[in-house]
Amino acid sequence: MDHDALFDVWHLFIRAGKKTIRTPVIIFGTLALPVLFLVLFTQIFTQFGNLPGFPAGGYVQFATAGIIVLNPLINAQYSGTAVVDDINSGFLSKMLVTPVNRPAILFGRLLNDTIMVLIPAGITLALAYALGVTVITGALGILLILFTAAFFGLSMSGLTMAIGVTTKSAQVVAGLDLVIIFPLMFVSTALVPYEFLPHWAQAFSNVNPFSYAVNAVRALMSTGFDWSTILAAYAVIAVFAAVTIGATLYQFRSVEK
Amino acid sequence: MVSDIINVENLVKVYPGGTRAVDGISFSVRESEFFGFLGPNGAGKSTTIQVLTTLLKKTSGSVTVAGYDVDTDAREIRKVIGVQRQETILDGDLTGRENLTIQGHLQRLHGTALKKRVDELLALVELSDVADKRAAQYSGGMKKRLDLASTLVHKPRLLFLDEPTSGLDPQSRVAIWEHLETLNSDEGVTVFLTTQQMEEADRLCHRLSILDHGEIVVSGSPVELKHQLGGDTITMSFANSDSGIKDRSKRIVNGIQGVTKVLDVETGLAAYAKNASALVPDIVRLFDENEIRLTSISVASASLDDVFLQHTGRRIRSEELSKVDTWKHYM
Repeated sequence: MDHDALFDVWHLFIRAGKKTIRTPVIIFGTLALPVLFLVLFTQIFTQFGNLPGFPAGGYVQFATAGIIVLNPLINAQYSGTAVVDDINSGFLSKMLVTPVNRPAILFGRLLNDTIMVLIPAGITLALAYALGVTVITGALGILLILFTAAFFGLSMSGLTMAIGVTTKSAQVVAGLDLVIIFPLMFVSTALVPYEFLPHWAQAFSNVNPFSYAVNAVRALMSTGFDWSTILAAYAVIAVFAAVTIGATLYQFRSVEK
Repeated sequence: MVSDIINVENLVKVYPGGTRAVDGISFSVRESEFFGFLGPNGAGKSTTIQVLTTLLKKTSGSVTVAGYDVDTDAREIRKVIGVQRQETILDGDLTGRENLTIQGHLQRLHGTALKKRVDELLALVELSDVADKRAAQYSGGMKKRLDLASTLVHKPRLLFLDEPTSGLDPQSRVAIWEHLETLNSDEGVTVFLTTQQMEEADRLCHRLSILDHGEIVVSGSPVELKHQLGGDTITMSFANSDSGIKDRSKRIVNGIQGVTKVLDVETGLAAYAKNASALVPDIVRLFDENEIRLTSISVASASLDDVFLQHTGRRIRSEELSKVDTWKHYM
């Protein structure tokens, strides 16, 4: 990217940030969801922690890793709906008759949404700490946990953006997103240990990028710098992000004829 | 010699479904000209504008804007054009000032120069007082003015305006017209205007082309085009709307000396003649003799709407007729 493109990304990031801050429902969701997830899941499933074979540390320690990555999974829909809004309001075509760098239109938004992921991840960590959860890898581990959540959020935002650019419908983005979120979330290691999953679910979890992200965060919280798990997660997320963002850029070319 | 800022030769656009939206049009627009591009809905205006503003690829032909080819130098073209579309396009979450600033940034302006330009434009469109309110809270007229201002941030040489005053109250409309006239006359900005309002085209345009079915049917200055009609317009409507009466009436009016042309309109007939007022008694008498009952007959100076009717077979907006203050009613 040249200097002009970075300039464009920066200003479109600022625009997206202002829009986000001024949309109360997004702020409420960003702040409330982590609290809701942590309270609900740990209350409902807490007895899982007593089952034989359950990893040491209890259910809250176990599920916090899943919830940290669950927030970006849910919040990613805002990236898709934002691009649909710009298409349908005509603002995108208003941008396209200026010399703005085309991919910068997407990357400005992605940068905002990736950074926004850090807020619920931080809230979840803080709340979990209050509930007795520990991060064995310390400050560096916390930074890597935040990075993992943001990186995974980026790849999911790419997915909702690709849907948005292709269908130009906010309803389709929200609807399809749900259909995608539930299998990714439940057929994963987010809320249940891998060994507890049925065989078919284990097979799906083996290719589920969400599980990889959760496993990396869980390792950083409970095991240590388990680089094989962490780097495997980054490799899988990188491929997933390349596919979803690549698809978005490819579809974007048809918007910009 | 004044150079052409837009040059279009044999432009053809065929959409993937096979629709031939623009069928080999050629025209040029001179630097600093106020140029009108008129036509009924579906005539190909929007397609042409999209090609000229680099949003749509043409099928064939040659198009240059500000000396740049639309296919190879789109990026250069985008630096010198401003585009205001028919629908008002703003970011309602941003303030008026922020809307102008982001447009400036997209045009690679920054720092105090941009800040100064934004203040200047807010003053020009009289929005300085509400500059820091969110655009979503603005009235329709204020939004339209802000939208116009946002197309001017980078001082474009060429401004594309697609129905810039549609849906506005008369006061806001006149305010926009005055801004546009100032831009054109004082700053030399070339304006490419499409409009459904003949009064707007007549007041603003130095020259215009009328497009129909993807082809240009006539071009010229408003005065020339009206002059070609050969006089004033007599509009007649009848008690009985069957086509036999209309055909007989048409023959009668065509036979009157001084009538240059008679056309079918939605409400009856329109005839063109010099000294039209003097012919009205003859027309009424002849219709009486032929037992044709008129419900109304009126005379007006030829308008661009009549030019449009003559070349496209349609009135662009029948309600415009009632607004022409030179009408004299006889019945």
